[in-house]
Amino acid sequence: MDKTPADNQTPLTAEAEAHVPEVSAAPDSPEEIEARTNSFLPELLTVSPSPHIRTEDTSRSIMLDVCISLMPALIWGIYVFGWRVLTLTLISVGFAVGSEFLYEKLMKKPVTILDFSTVVTGLLLALNLPVSVPLWMPAVGAVFAIIVVKQLFGGLGKNFVNPALAARVFLFAWPGHMSTFTSPGDKLSAAALKIAETDIVAGATPLASLKNGVLPDTSLFDMIIGYESGCIGEVSALLLAAGGIYLLARRVITWHIPVSYIGTVLLVTFVFAKSSLPFDFALAEIFSGGLFLGAIFMATDYATSPVTNMGRVVYGIGCGLLTVFIRYFGGYAEGVSFSILIMNLLVWYIDRYSKPVRFGGVKVDEAGK
Amino acid sequence: MAFTFHGGIHIDEHKTTRRCLVETMPPPKSVSIPLSQHIGAHAVPVVKVGDTVDKGQVIGVIEKGLGCPVHASVSGKVTAITEKNAANGMKIRNIVIANDGEERLSPDIKPWGKSLADTTTEEIIEIIRAAGISGMGGATFPTYAKIQSALGKVERIIVNCAECEPYITANHRLLLENPEAVINGLKILMKAFGLRESEIAVEDNKLDAINKLENRLVGSKMIHVRVLKTKYPQGDERQLIYALTGRELPVGKLPADVGCCVFNAETCAAIFNAFAEGMPLIERIVTVDGDCIKRPRNLLVPLGTSFTDIMHCCGGLIRSLKKIVSGGPMMGVSQWDKDGVVTKGTSAILFFSEKAENRYEQPPTCIRCGRCVRACPMRLMPNYLATFASQGKLEQCEEFDVIACVECGSCSYSCPGHVPIVQYIRAAKGQINDRKRAQAAALANSQVNPEKG
Ligand code: SF4
Ligand code: SF4
Repeated sequence: MDKTPADNQTPLTAEAEAHVPEVSAAPDSPEEIEARTNSFLPELLTVSPSPHIRTEDTSRSIMLDVCISLMPALIWGIYVFGWRVLTLTLISVGFAVGSEFLYEKLMKKPVTILDFSTVVTGLLLALNLPVSVPLWMPAVGAVFAIIVVKQLFGGLGKNFVNPALAARVFLFAWPGHMSTFTSPGDKLSAAALKIAETDIVAGATPLASLKNGVLPDTSLFDMIIGYESGCIGEVSALLLAAGGIYLLARRVITWHIPVSYIGTVLLVTFVFAKSSLPFDFALAEIFSGGLFLGAIFMATDYATSPVTNMGRVVYGIGCGLLTVFIRYFGGYAEGVSFSILIMNLLVWYIDRYSKPVRFGGVKVDEAGK
Repeated sequence: MAFTFHGGIHIDEHKTTRRCLVETMPPPKSVSIPLSQHIGAHAVPVVKVGDTVDKGQVIGVIEKGLGCPVHASVSGKVTAITEKNAANGMKIRNIVIANDGEERLSPDIKPWGKSLADTTTEEIIEIIRAAGISGMGGATFPTYAKIQSALGKVERIIVNCAECEPYITANHRLLLENPEAVINGLKILMKAFGLRESEIAVEDNKLDAINKLENRLVGSKMIHVRVLKTKYPQGDERQLIYALTGRELPVGKLPADVGCCVFNAETCAAIFNAFAEGMPLIERIVTVDGDCIKRPRNLLVPLGTSFTDIMHCCGGLIRSLKKIVSGGPMMGVSQWDKDGVVTKGTSAILFFSEKAENRYEQPPTCIRCGRCVRACPMRLMPNYLATFASQGKLEQCEEFDVIACVECGSCSYSCPGHVPIVQYIRAAKGQINDRKRAQAAALANSQVNPEKG
């Protein structure tokens, strides 16, 4: 090595001095240094494979971000549908966390409720229910989601369908409760709560009328803001989008799934509009129903979506096509949950076939050009 | 426009020592010089216990095969030749020299008398070999052998000053304080290869160094300064070549196969020293940092100096030490021995407490977030590799190109589930290689004894 005598003899520049951390004015004597150093030396040094540093992000910080991003939609839900929303949400989250805790205790597994992923599941389930469902439904749904869909398949990251969505579909075993929607601002009447017996439709969702090729009464503006009937968390496209932007900014999700999903629905419903106003029809399709909630929060669920960007686009398009197909030809007005669940089952194949070509996998001379 | 590559990660730089001038470490009382600080054969000692040696004197030679001679880094008396476990568990003989403080230079050290123009390629290679120079970025491949094997195939020489690992600033300081040595060393290499153009690649977090180089090289048509975007692992040879040339170096190939040869900045400076002063490689710049050390700094350290001496020289520890890492935090090796020593490949020594690791108390779980996939510069799917490897599915690991992994650690770093991905991958690679070797051996066996089938 070349010596740099000139540099070494000059004292540190003022600038360098300022950047040398923790330089005390009077350096310790060698004895002091040695004594202090020995006091901090461990008996054995830790030997571990590299890398020796890690990102500060953890699964928990990511799940917390998801919870935060769902808050605007939840608060809006409370505003539009009343305090009962909060009760349902607390039940759903409480039973989700509680059942995970009990299951893991019973199975003598490490308890993982602190990773907040169950809170997300509970929240998403509540947001996917109509406000008029009886109180036992979120409880049953949450237990089903956590025990059957998540834990029996090995826990976090190993389930291959989205727990909240699977639970929602499971709850469709009581279709009367699940497809009764309250109009915004309505006081929940006793009748609406006893809906299974009386079969009254309290409020028609815009989607239901779209299914028949009729543009809904709800104005586009109301649909975007979220002043319409529907599930608790799905009504306000605007606030859901805000949550999505938060997740994008925090790099929790990438744009691929939401954009390809919503884009596909927009395009297909525009081309195959059931109305003479294709553009209005397509806009009403994307802003009504559970599309925003599904595309931003449910389809992007890590465990059940592809890991490559390419795969995510394919997956989003697949969800979009299936959604439109079910909305047009299926028995229910809504197709988001089913299409995401179907695509969930294909994730492994999508991942496998969207496996990127490894670096240098192309021939050298081709790559050089 | 800055050059860059796909994938990779942004890490907190922690370049605390960015503005710390390189200080010459007061010579330690004794040094313990390993006879193998490079890839290849171990050197054989040519001194005995009790001999008096001069600074720069040859104390170990390579008898046959690939390897670098070893020189004394201080003057003094050989007190022991002992076997010691290196960080990788290999037993390596060390020559221990008690420093007599006289700094007596060996009489063999004299400048190469001829001008560069009159020096042939063979002579340059011999100078580099005799000076014991091996890659100083960490890989420690003998430099003379690298040049020999690349001769005739190379059209671009790249000096790697990316220094993409956090904490390390040794190359940065070298470029600021002694750019001539790097530039001149590069010119020697260009002469050896018979090339007229070459590149020095620096990440854009070192703009002061870039300016300095550009000022020195105004009007030079021979050496170009290339600005790289700051991203880990830009300093990986493959990513560097890709960023500058767009060529993807496939697994199992050498840079020369795509017409490139990459040298570390400090290696260039060492080559210049060997040429200009006849000084063999006996000291190097080491960044000392980490949250446990009182006074992080850049030190010019004689090879063979122990970590303990370095600790004391840097104000000692200020919190409970957990790990000593030799090299950067991403690819460096954690040491089991606080008396381990600085070798030719030690670019940094980091003293970490428990805090630096960002431990997460939950059991490691893949949540399938896909961050590792986006981070992988080799475009692999680390999450699947880790899963398959943990389940022992080696065929599937191979199908997902586990062999292409360069172990850069980007995936493990970025994993929020704290899955030790690289650890799994290393294990799988090891098993696959073992199996291949076994198969090759079986095949060779059956060919030798065909009748046995
Ligand atoms: S970064 Fe970690 S949690 Fe995310 S997909 Fe990769 S292994 Fe799984
Ligand atoms: S899989 Fe290998 S090459 Fe890819 S990021 Fe991980 S360590 Fe680096």
